[in-house]
Amino acid sequence: MIDTIEKEDNIISEEEAAQYDRQIRLWGLDAQKRLRGSRVLLVGLRGLGAEVAKNLILAGVKGLTLLDHEQVTEESRRAQFLIPVDADGQNQAQASLERAQLLNPMVEVKADTDAVESKPDDFFFQFDAVCLTRCSKDLMVRVDQLCASRNIKVFCGDVYGYHGYMFSDLGQEHHYVEEKPKVVKGSNEANDGPEAKKPKVDPNETTMVKKTISFSSLKEALEVDWTNEKAKSSLKRTPTDYFLLQVLLKFRTDKGRDPQPDSFAEDSQLLLQIRDDVLETMGLSSELLPNTFVSYCFSEMAPVCAVVGGVLGQEIVKALSQRDAPHRNFFFFDGLKGSGVVDYFGSK
Amino acid sequence: ESVPIITNFKLAESLSSCRVLVVGAGGIGCELLKNLVLTGFKNIEVIDLDTIDVSNLNRQFLFQKKHVGKSKAQVAKESVLRFCPSANITAYHDSIMNPDYNVEFFRNFQLVMNALDNRAARNHVNRMCLAADIPLIESGTAGYLGQVTVIKKGQTECYECQPKPTQKTFPGCTIRNTPSEPIHCIVWAKYLYNQLFGEEDADQEVSPDTADPEAAWNPADAAARATASNKDGDIKRVSTKEWARSTGYDPVKLFNKLFKDDIMYLLTMDKLWKKRKAPLPLDWTEIHHLEFSQEEACGTGLKDQQVLGVQGYAQLFHRSVETLRSQLIEKGEGAELVWDKDDPPAMDFVTAAANLRMNVFSMNMKSRFDVKSMAGNIIPAIATTNAVIAGLIVLEALKTLNSEFDQCRTVNLQCCSFHTRHTVLKHELHHVLFYLVLFSICFSHLV
Repeated sequence: MIDTIEKEDNIISEEEAAQYDRQIRLWGLDAQKRLRGSRVLLVGLRGLGAEVAKNLILAGVKGLTLLDHEQVTEESRRAQFLIPVDADGQNQAQASLERAQLLNPMVEVKADTDAVESKPDDFFFQFDAVCLTRCSKDLMVRVDQLCASRNIKVFCGDVYGYHGYMFSDLGQEHHYVEEKPKVVKGSNEANDGPEAKKPKVDPNETTMVKKTISFSSLKEALEVDWTNEKAKSSLKRTPTDYFLLQVLLKFRTDKGRDPQPDSFAEDSQLLLQIRDDVLETMGLSSELLPNTFVSYCFSEMAPVCAVVGGVLGQEIVKALSQRDAPHRNFFFFDGLKGSGVVDYFGSK
Repeated sequence: ESVPIITNFKLAESLSSCRVLVVGAGGIGCELLKNLVLTGFKNIEVIDLDTIDVSNLNRQFLFQKKHVGKSKAQVAKESVLRFCPSANITAYHDSIMNPDYNVEFFRNFQLVMNALDNRAARNHVNRMCLAADIPLIESGTAGYLGQVTVIKKGQTECYECQPKPTQKTFPGCTIRNTPSEPIHCIVWAKYLYNQLFGEEDADQEVSPDTADPEAAWNPADAAARATASNKDGDIKRVSTKEWARSTGYDPVKLFNKLFKDDIMYLLTMDKLWKKRKAPLPLDWTEIHHLEFSQEEACGTGLKDQQVLGVQGYAQLFHRSVETLRSQLIEKGEGAELVWDKDDPPAMDFVTAAANLRMNVFSMNMKSRFDVKSMAGNIIPAIATTNAVIAGLIVLEALKTLNSEFDQCRTVNLQCCSFHTRHTVLKHELHHVLFYLVLFSICFSHLV
């Protein structure tokens, strides 16, 4: 991981300056250089994956590896905008490669057709950040454990119908800076009215404040103990999307796939059953997640992919550029209500 | 026994049959078009008067470098058709304010979505949609922030219902006599450009304002100054342009008038400097006799982010005046130039003139990069903010259309709270919150 920006090429070309002008004016040149030195792994190229790919490529990372072992189907192709119309049957990552690369020729975009489960540990170590979509809970926990110890930033995200989430583990010690307006001492004006005593904020000058923050592992985040008193009292303020996520991850583990509109009847039944099981295991009531949830978690809604992909993409940018406070550690989006919530689950 | 909304045939049918208008094919527009077709909208019309610029490419993902100079609406349509050939898209390279797009035109659509960057167009579309009684989804982004609002006649406030803050302007005497911030000097430099090379405007005077009320010691003095400025005043009588012409746009003469003679005149208005630091005049010859301050090597920063010294800006002033003078000559008799931040000599001129003035008034000078931001009103922009906002727009579009088509259900706006602001901004959220959206996203940080 980049702690200083010595590692990569320090000169920004004219071409980069022109293309990245509007974002350099927002997050600064240092941040852009850090991005430019970062390699990211993106697993899963469906609706959400394509959005994250687009956002990271446009931001100007050094390299992005698109990893997906699945084949393009009509359904998967219509869920995203990178795959050409005649690519049915091809590998999803491979099919997305050309259009992804065209988004920004300055980024090294690669396709990997292997299944992420088959990758050895050291495969992940070549990256500065890893983003997992459509992965099983076990795989995500394994990768998170692997990466966190090596200061590789880990992100997970999925979209189920109208619902979506993202999770991040930036490690035990994530360092970042925040830009704050500079407080200037009073001026030398002879006319010292009552205003002169107040510390003035100079709108033209800012200062960078360094901060450090720690994150919980995914394992701990998903295995919160709800039986103790403290957890129970916080239940009211807890977004139900957290429990929905647990149900959907269990479905994915049990069925090896996500709920599909084709098997709506069968899958809805199973979802309700899993809901009961999961909540019971946690010592919680089924009423926490009313039956209606079943109607809204099938397939990937494109606008929900856009929202979650946007937030997830920006969190990855923030983490790699080490600038601005990251969301800690979950973001849940409910497309029906139009509500987005950041919440923390895990070790204190 | 509810059926998922996405397989609600009524909604699916209405999506494929309804016609929507997208006004703007830029940052929000590109993301919006993509979301619309992926969601199932089939009949989309998009309008934009602009052409593609290289600075758009960090976020307007439907465009590539090879498209620079081409019509945004047209290229956006072509790019979308590549991944969704069955979409029925009409592109207009035109201004929505063109009278061709009358109320009848708007009535063709079930929904209008704005993806604009200026108030005039927003006001216009707002009124057209009210007149045509078509729902409008308004939105905007800047940096990390964004907003989405639904406007429906008779049900919500319209775009113009709430007064919007107007563009900040500065008093003439601040610009002409007593600048205290870099922005005052930048505005002065832009006025100067117009006075010398462009369209002269009585509201954009750059010479010292002798009628400045602050300069008067007493009311009688003020009256005397006011009449004096109307009489034979060397500085006031001859327009800046006429004076420049008379010297053949000699850069050195221009420099000494603006940064020495006019400043010395200001110094005679001594009341202005009683409580302010007095300006320090510059002299062309003297500057060039000074120890040449070593300008820092470009090093690791952007070339434009360098801050030059006084000699550097004096040189830049000299060069840009010569270049602009040539441009004027080339254009012929009575020619006027129009300032454009992307025209290098115009930008050079403002950078140089503003910085020289900042130096005169003891302000820290600014890089070309920073001057361009202020002079060009550049709003920083990234892909992700636009992506999120465009996603929210489509979600609102679905809700809006759903209520339009389902007559059995009473239109319940409670869940959407169109006109209630969600101020769920706890103090920590200032750092956590990156998307400020009216009623839609509430970020609550629970620990």
